[in-house]
Amino acid sequence: MAANHAIAASALQARPDWRALARSSWRRRFTGQSTLLAFLLAVSVPILLPYFWMVVIAFTARTGGVPSDVLWTACAVIAPAVIVYSVVHMSVASPRLRLVTGLILLAIVGSLLVALIGGRLHVDNFRFLWRADFVEELRSKATTGAQFPSVWNAFFNSLLLAVFQTAIILTVASLAGYYISRFAFRGRNVFLQGLLVLHAFPAMTLIIPIFLMLHWIGLLDTLLGVMLVLAAIELPFYVFVMKGFFDGVPWDIEMSAMTDGASRRQAFRLVVLPQVRFGLIAVAVFAFIRAWEEYIFVRTFLIENSNWVMSLYLFWVADDVMGVDYGIVAAVAVFYVLPSLLLYVFCQKYLTQMTIGGIKG
Amino acid sequence: MPDFARAQLRRQWINFGLFLGPALVLLFVFFVVPVVIDLVLAFTDMGRTLAVGKLTLENFERMFTRDTRLLGALGVTFVFVLATLGIFNVTFALLLALVTTAVPQRLGAFFRAVWLLPRMSPSVVYALLWLWVVDPNEGGLLNQIVIHVFGMPPIDLRNNHPLLVIILANGFIGASLGMLIFTSAIRSIPEHLFHAARVDGAGSLAIVRNITLPALRWPISYMTIHQTLSLLVSFEYILLITGGGPFYDTTVFSLYAYRRAFESGEYAYGAALSLILVVIGTVAALALWRLMDMRQLLQPPRIEVH
Repeated sequence: MAANHAIAASALQARPDWRALARSSWRRRFTGQSTLLAFLLAVSVPILLPYFWMVVIAFTARTGGVPSDVLWTACAVIAPAVIVYSVVHMSVASPRLRLVTGLILLAIVGSLLVALIGGRLHVDNFRFLWRADFVEELRSKATTGAQFPSVWNAFFNSLLLAVFQTAIILTVASLAGYYISRFAFRGRNVFLQGLLVLHAFPAMTLIIPIFLMLHWIGLLDTLLGVMLVLAAIELPFYVFVMKGFFDGVPWDIEMSAMTDGASRRQAFRLVVLPQVRFGLIAVAVFAFIRAWEEYIFVRTFLIENSNWVMSLYLFWVADDVMGVDYGIVAAVAVFYVLPSLLLYVFCQKYLTQMTIGGIKG
Repeated sequence: MPDFARAQLRRQWINFGLFLGPALVLLFVFFVVPVVIDLVLAFTDMGRTLAVGKLTLENFERMFTRDTRLLGALGVTFVFVLATLGIFNVTFALLLALVTTAVPQRLGAFFRAVWLLPRMSPSVVYALLWLWVVDPNEGGLLNQIVIHVFGMPPIDLRNNHPLLVIILANGFIGASLGMLIFTSAIRSIPEHLFHAARVDGAGSLAIVRNITLPALRWPISYMTIHQTLSLLVSFEYILLITGGGPFYDTTVFSLYAYRRAFESGEYAYGAALSLILVVIGTVAALALWRLMDMRQLLQPPRIEVH
C-alpha cells in the first residue's frame, strides 16, 4: 500500500526521486524476504536439531551417559554462522561473493568445531558392526531370551527385501503401465478406475487378513511373503507413475521400430523402455526407500530373529539397551538411516518427476 | 473366422496375459482376497489358536453394546485426526508451500528438502528421535531446553500429554506431502496473473487471497480427504512412540483393531473392527477418485495395433 502512495505521490510531482524509490523498494523487499527466511529457519530447527543430536550422540556418547555440552557447543558455533550467512545471502547480489563468504564461514566453523569438540569424537559406538555380542557385554549377563543376531544378518535381509521388492515392482508396474498406456482392450476404463480406487485404498486395514493368509499358505515369517505383500500394496501407485512416463513417450518411436520389423514386445523392450529410464530410476529409488524403512508389516509378519531386517534390529536394540547406552542405539540408527538418506539426496532430481493423474504424490 | 483374425485374437490374449497378468494376479491376491477373508472373519470367533469354531454375530454385538474402550478409542481418533489435519497436514503445509515459493527458488527447495527429511528417514529412526526429544529425564532434548533456557522443572510430555506428542510427531511428517502438492499447484499458476495483479496494485496478501488460494481449491480438497483417510488408518508412529499408551490414552481406532488382533489374539474381533475401516476407506477412496483428473487419465491409448 505504501508503495502505491509513493508511486502516486511521485507521479504527481514533476520529477520523481528514482533513487529514493529504488532504495525504499529494496528495503521493503529485504524486510519481506528476511521475515520469510527467518520463519523458515525457525520452523526447520525442530526438525534438524534432533537429527543433529542423533549424530552427536552416536559419535560422542559412552556407556552410562550422554554428554549434552557437545551438542550445545556445536550449536553455538553453527547457529551464528548460519545467521551471518543468511544476512549476507540476502544483502549481497553477486553469486560469487556469496560463495566466497559461504566457504570462509564453512572453514571457520569447521576449524572451530575441530578445536572445541574434535577430541571428544570417537567411533567406539560403532563396535556393533564387528561385535555381535555387544548387548550381552553391556548387560553383563545373558539377556532374557533375546540372542541378538549380527547386524550384517539384518542388513543383508533388509537389502534382500528391498532389492527384490523393487525388482518385482519395476517389472510388474512397467509391464502393466505400458499396456494401459498403449493398448485398447475391453474393460480398460473399469480397470483404470478400479486401480485408482485401490491406489487410494488404505492397505493397512487389511493387515489382519493378510497375516492369516500368509499363515495359511506358509509364507508367514519368510522374507518372500513380506516382499510380495509390500510389492502388491504399493503397486497401483507405481503402475500409474509408469503409465505417466509411458504416456510421455511419442508413439512414432514405436511405430518406426515396428515398421522396421520389430514385434510389439521387441519394440517395448528395445525401444520404449530405454526412453523411460529416468522413470524406472525414480520408481526404483522410491520403492527401495519404502521397503528399507518398512516397520509395521515386517513387525507383524517376521518373527524369528534370523529374519530380522534393519528396522526390527534397531527397534530391539533400542528396546534392550536404551537406558544403558544411548551411544550404541544412536550409532545403529545412523548406520540404518544412511543408505536411504544417500539415495534420497543423490536421486532427488528423479524423484521430483513422478506425477499421477495430474496430482503429484 | 479367418485364420489371420484368429491369430490376431490369440496374440491379443497373449499380450494381455503377459503385460497385465502379473499385476492382476498380485492385486487380486493381496487386495481382493484379503477383503473377502476379512468379511468372513468378522463373523467368526477366531481366537489365538487361529481356528474357526462357529459363525456368529458376537463381534458386532460386542462392538456396539459391550466394548467400553471402543468409545474412548473413537474419541482419541477424532481429536488426533482433526488436530493433526487442521494444524499440520493442511494449514501448515499450505503455509510452507506459500513461503517456500515466495523465497528464491534454491532456498525454497532447500527448506522443502529439510521438511521431507522425516518422511524419507525410516519410521523407527524418526520415532526414536521423538523418544529422545521428549525423554522425561533431564537429558531429554526438550528438557535440556526447558531447564536451562526457561528455568522450569523437567516435563514428561509422553506421560502427561501423550496425545500432543503423537499429534506433533505425525504432523511433522504429514505437512511435507501437502507442501509438495501445493507447491506444484502454485507453480502451475500462470505467471502473468501475478504480474497483472501487481500492476493493479495488489499487495502480497491480496495476491495470496485472490489468486493463489482459489487456484489451490482442488488440491486442498484432495489433500484433506487423502490425509483424513491416511491418518485414520495409519498407526505406525503411535505404536512406535507411545505404544498406544499410557493405558489406552493414545490408542486410535486402527491401532485398537491391531492391538485386539495381535496383542490379545482376538483375530475375529480385530477383523470386525477393521471391516469398519475398510468401509470408510472404500468410501473415501471413491470420493478421492472424483477429485482426480479423470479426463486425462481415461484418454484413449495411443496405439491400438497389437
